[in-house]
Amino acid sequence: MKQENPFAQLRPDSRVGIVGIPPLAVIGRLNSLGAQIYDLDEPQINTDMELTAPFLPRVYCAILRTALLNALHLELDMIVIDVGPGKCDCALHVSTVLQDMLRIPVIRTRNEDDVPFGHPLCETKMSLLEKLKRITAGVQSAAPHQPEKFPPCRPTAGFWGVPPRDFSLLTLFPDTTHIYGWTRCMENKTPADGELEEMFNAEVPTIFFAQSFCAKTALAKFLAAKHPHGLYLDVDVTCSSSTQAKIQAFLELSGVGHAAR
Amino acid sequence: MLLADFGTSYCKFRELGGPAGAGQPYLLATKDLPKNLRVDLATGHNGKRFSDRYVNELTALARGGEDLIAAPDYVLLDCGSRDIKYVSYCHGKLADMGWNSECGASMGFTIELLEKYYNLDYGKLAVPERTFSITCGVLGMSHIFDAVTSGISEAEAVARFVKGIALNAYRFSGSPETLYLSGGLCDNPLFVGSFPCNIIPLGRFVLIKGLEKTAREHLSIAL
Repeated sequence: MKQENPFAQLRPDSRVGIVGIPPLAVIGRLNSLGAQIYDLDEPQINTDMELTAPFLPRVYCAILRTALLNALHLELDMIVIDVGPGKCDCALHVSTVLQDMLRIPVIRTRNEDDVPFGHPLCETKMSLLEKLKRITAGVQSAAPHQPEKFPPCRPTAGFWGVPPRDFSLLTLFPDTTHIYGWTRCMENKTPADGELEEMFNAEVPTIFFAQSFCAKTALAKFLAAKHPHGLYLDVDVTCSSSTQAKIQAFLELSGVGHAAR
Repeated sequence: MLLADFGTSYCKFRELGGPAGAGQPYLLATKDLPKNLRVDLATGHNGKRFSDRYVNELTALARGGEDLIAAPDYVLLDCGSRDIKYVSYCHGKLADMGWNSECGASMGFTIELLEKYYNLDYGKLAVPERTFSITCGVLGMSHIFDAVTSGISEAEAVARFVKGIALNAYRFSGSPETLYLSGGLCDNPLFVGSFPCNIIPLGRFVLIKGLEKTAREHLSIAL
C-alpha cells in the first residue's frame, strides 16, 4: 500500500468498493470500522456495460468492466483492489484507470494470505447458485466458517472456475455439484493458492469455466483437457442460449441430470 | 407421435408409432409452418414454441450420432442455416462439444441465398484451389463482392466462399481426419468436396434420429 494509513479517513458509514479479494487483515479492518462494503466484481447496478467503453476496451474481462461500471455509478469513498497473485494483471491496469477516473483513494493490495479457512460450501448439497452467492458474499467478512452447518455431499458433477459474471449459468447444475478452482480458493480465503486452484475431481464430469479474455482461460482449457470428462467453457458478459445448451447437453449426455429451468 | 426438428430455414418431421408404423421423414420450409402446429417432441432453436417437450439441439445431435455411427471414436458436425455445432466421441463416450452461433452465424443460410441470387448450381461448380478466410456468412460476403469487382467470376468467388466456410467448420470441429456431417449441406457437393478430410454425410435427419432415441430410451415411450 502506498499510504501509511489509508483507512484513517474512513467513517463508520463509509462506502468502500472492493475488487478481487483483499487480504483478510484489510477486510477485518473495514469490518471493525463499520464500513459498508460493495463487491464491485458483481453487478450492483442495472445499466449498460457500454458506458465503460471510453475507459476500457470492449474486448476485456467482463468482471473488471463490471467493477468499473459499478465504480462509475456508486458514490464510493474508497476502492480497495487486489492486484496480487490471487487476482491478475488486468486488475492492476484497471486500478490505474480507476485512480485516474475517480477522486477517491484507490488502494492496491496484494493478497498472499495462506491460512486455510476450509471450503465447506464447495462440497455441500445446495443449489450451485446459492453456494456461489454465499461464497462471494463471504469475501466481505473475516469471520470463520461454520462447517458443521454444511456437511459434504457425494458429488455428481463439478464446476471449476471463477464466479461468473452471469450467475444464470449456475442454475443449470444439480445441487450435488462440487466447486473447484478459484471459487474454492475464495471460500478458503487463499486466493493465491495455485495448487488448490488446479485441483479437480477426475471422478465426476466437470465444466471448466473462465471469463472470456481472462488469463485463467488457459488454465481452464488445460485442465479440461487433462480431465477424463471435462468441458472447457468461456463466457463473456451474459450466457447465450447456445452456451446454456452446451452445459445442459454435457450434463445430460454425461448421465447427470441438469437442473430444470 | 410426431417428432420435429425446427430449423431456421427448414423443419424436419417424422411420425412414429401410427397405425402404419413409422412414416418417412419429411421437410417443410420454416416460413410455411402452420401457426397452430403442435408436435409431441421437438428440438431446434424454434422448437419450444411448438411442443411441451423439448430436447436441446446438441443433445439431439449427440443421440442421433450414437444411433447412426458405429465407430467408437468420431466427430459429428451439424451445419445448419444459422449455426454450426459438433460433438466428438472417444471410446464411445462424449469427449467434447461446441456450438458456434455467433461466429458461425448464417453460413448455411448465406450459401443457399447466394446460389439463388447468382443463379448457380452447386452440383456443377468445381472445388476451387483458393479460398477466402471466412468465420461468418454475413461478413464473408464482402469477400465475394471484392473478388467480383477485381475480375473474378461470380461462380469462382462463390465457390471460394463456400470452401472458406467448409474450412472454418472443419477447424471449429477440431480438424479430424474423418468427419461425419449432418444437415442440409450434406446435399451440396461443392461444400462436401471442400473439406480437407474424409467426409461421411449423414443427411438432414440426424437430430430427428436423436429425438427417436430420446423418446425410446429417456421418455420410455414404446415406438
